[in-house]
Amino acid sequence: MNAVVPSQVELRIPRSCEFVRVARKTAGALAHQLQFTLHEVYDIELAVGEACTNAVEHVGEQCPEILVRFSVDEQALVMEVIDRGPGFDPEHTPAVNVQDETIGGLGLLVIRSLMDELEVKCDSSAGGACVRMVKYRKRQ
Amino acid sequence: MATPLRVSSRLTGEGSAVLSLAGEVDVSNTPEVREAGVKLLSDGATRLVVDLSQTEYMDSAGLGTLIGMLKRVKEAGGAMAIAGPQSQVRRLFEITGLDQIFAIYEDLGTATKEVGG
Repeated sequence: MNAVVPSQVELRIPRSCEFVRVARKTAGALAHQLQFTLHEVYDIELAVGEACTNAVEHVGEQCPEILVRFSVDEQALVMEVIDRGPGFDPEHTPAVNVQDETIGGLGLLVIRSLMDELEVKCDSSAGGACVRMVKYRKRQ
Repeated sequence: MATPLRVSSRLTGEGSAVLSLAGEVDVSNTPEVREAGVKLLSDGATRLVVDLSQTEYMDSAGLGTLIGMLKRVKEAGGAMAIAGPQSQVRRLFEITGLDQIFAIYEDLGTATKEVGG
């Protein structure tokens, strides 16, 4: 039985580390349905997990939830992680330093390495950030 | 609803220990990993091997925790090694350049030997 692949899936998760897993497992399930390879499914899970972790860590208490949107078409799986927090500077990616346990920016580095496209949009006036990731589907 | 992770540790000799992480290491359970590492150090283990052979998933929060552990071990004058990471986890070290910071070995025996355990 071939499962029907939805063209769009949306999740609203609480701003909590505990729920990041829900988002990444959803990403993995969708990627699996789309017949990405096992390595690609892992990469997609990891990228969505990193984006959600980034959102959880950067938004303040005024933002109780994070929107995770998956869109599917013939060419690609598009994943957006959207929050209404204060936003962040995507260019601020400090180098990894063993003397500094906080390694902010590493998540974006990982996403950039694993995805075919990465776009970070921050709205400094209205607040909020959107991390948009694209993974191309192999042509059949 | 923390991600399934089994953390186990054992002292392998005078001042040496193995910390094993089985399952998924992510932002929800890194405090548990950090706590286990701190306890080993407070028990006097300054030569530490982190066994990742059963680690199925790790994110950058997990890497951050390992960096913190390495920092504390070095401050204590000890050494730390990573043993047996599966290909996807190893790739995470490579993507982030942390394969240049951590001593990574194919298996637990080699890692233990190299850190003097």
